[in-house]
Amino acid sequence: MTETIARRARVTALYICLIVLAVIFSGPLGWLILTSLKAPNELSVFPIQLLPSTPQWHNYIDAITFIDFLGYARNSLILATLSAVLTTISSAWMAYGFARLSAPGKKFWFGLLISTMMMPGIITLIPTYLMFAKMGLVDTYVPWILWGLSGAAYMIFLFRQFFSGMPKELEEAAILDGCGHVRIFWRIFIPQSWPVLAACMVLTFTAAWGDYIAPSLLLSSDRTTLAVAMTAGYVNEKGFPVQNLLAAGSTLFILPVLLMFLFFQRFFVQGFSTSGLK
Amino acid sequence: MTATLEALRDTPPGTARPRSGKRGRAGQGIRTFYLFVGPWIAGFVLLTIFPLAYAFWMSLTNTDGLSPNWSYVGLDNYVRVFQDQQTIASLGRTMVFMLATVPTGVAAGLAMAVLLNRDFRGRALFRALFYLPAVVPGVAAALTFKIIFDKNAGFANAAIGATGGEPISWLADPYVRMVLIFMILWGVGGSMIVSLAALQDVPRELLEAAKVDGAGPVYSFFRITLPLLSPIIFFQVVTGVIGSLQVFVPSLLLAPVNGAAAVTAVPEGNYFFMVHVYAEYFAKSHFGYASALLWVLFLFVLLITGVVFKIGNRAVFYGGVDPSERKD
Repeated sequence: MTETIARRARVTALYICLIVLAVIFSGPLGWLILTSLKAPNELSVFPIQLLPSTPQWHNYIDAITFIDFLGYARNSLILATLSAVLTTISSAWMAYGFARLSAPGKKFWFGLLISTMMMPGIITLIPTYLMFAKMGLVDTYVPWILWGLSGAAYMIFLFRQFFSGMPKELEEAAILDGCGHVRIFWRIFIPQSWPVLAACMVLTFTAAWGDYIAPSLLLSSDRTTLAVAMTAGYVNEKGFPVQNLLAAGSTLFILPVLLMFLFFQRFFVQGFSTSGLK
Repeated sequence: MTATLEALRDTPPGTARPRSGKRGRAGQGIRTFYLFVGPWIAGFVLLTIFPLAYAFWMSLTNTDGLSPNWSYVGLDNYVRVFQDQQTIASLGRTMVFMLATVPTGVAAGLAMAVLLNRDFRGRALFRALFYLPAVVPGVAAALTFKIIFDKNAGFANAAIGATGGEPISWLADPYVRMVLIFMILWGVGGSMIVSLAALQDVPRELLEAAKVDGAGPVYSFFRITLPLLSPIIFFQVVTGVIGSLQVFVPSLLLAPVNGAAAVTAVPEGNYFFMVHVYAEYFAKSHFGYASALLWVLFLFVLLITGVVFKIGNRAVFYGGVDPSERKD
């Protein structure tokens, strides 16, 4: 009897903790959505109003027309897709080399790859930008193509871990049949590794979609991405932010990332557990 | 590492046709390896080594990036780094920020992972709710927090108003640093997911055996679970330290002004080292001096990472389950 009471108390305490945390963690996005549905005169009343008296759904339409939302969204979509596809394919390609081939110097390069995962990325970004500016590559997508083609260290590592776990008989049989490594990679390894491919695509796509600093340095104001446009666009003629439209725009900006997260949730988690980090 | 094993079974493509001599085989193996790994090496040289070298060259000059009249100034810029009050102050602020966010972030992530590492109804829902903020892009997170902490329309002042307090200018000194820390900790779900994945790899038999021997849950957490998790905790501390030393974009995004002028409007509390670097580059066009600052930061990150590894090697328990022997 006392045991069940103690058990009940424990379960209740657990749920109370979880619910408090859930409120704290979803609170900010909740406030964002509430703000996005308010009328302008509800934004600065005192005492501050929690709920909009009537949800102003047209704020979402206004948010799209207030700035060239769709134009910037198209730029973001192109850039993020380009970045995700190139990074994923090239990371898998290089990981195949690290996982399945050997040559003198391999240990050195792999060690270097691991240590670049700890490289402070922002430190190279500014000189890289200045370099691209000197080469006249500012305001083009060439920098992202170059970044994509050279892969991402963390993604190479993920693929390498995954490829290393695949049975060796796979390519041994293929080699006996006279199949080269390039074909083994495309025909055997790529089709087998779709969970990692999906994880890598989703992670690089969302990173590029949300990135602020690289596009703000490298792209001019009309070629720039939604992330950059969001921060500066929603101001009235006096230069003050239009909070409700800003909130509506931000919600729309986050939406693709949240949807991808909900659909591919297990890939996000799988990405971490397959990595076998030591 | 499987390198030695693989060296034994190096079978380059095209061996169906017998080849003459070992040298040809090895040569082809090398070529195939570099065919695959080459793009990464090229990218590393072009996009990491080269920019670093370029920054180093600039740090020896007084260039402003535009004017053709520049000259070599030797190590003057580096001497200036240590005489610049802003450098020392911003570095101190960055260290405080690191100490405020990394330990709390890792500990909170671990605590939440422990809370979720059991079977109960709604577990997947709570996991998703806690992790969600971590996938929200930094730009959107900053805009959201600016709206919450807005002086006139924000939730924070609404709550204070409801209890009869005076509204606070959250986005100015001295409060803005707190807002930044709240914003960073809001994304603690990322750390939670990593810890949760590691917790699920702790062998159940070990915990059950401890229970049979009469160990309580607290004892087995600190004596079994935590040591097994120490490598992943260490990994998070290392990446957290490196990340927080470079903190800079959230400061820009929380500044009262947006766009290119943001860097000149960052409140002092959020004026971190990297903000200083950015301001010297783009607000003052001191390219030479800013490049020297960048190199000092680079060396500082290497130094701190080295120190963390030194401490970590003593504290981390590597005798656990070998990841390669784990059954997934």
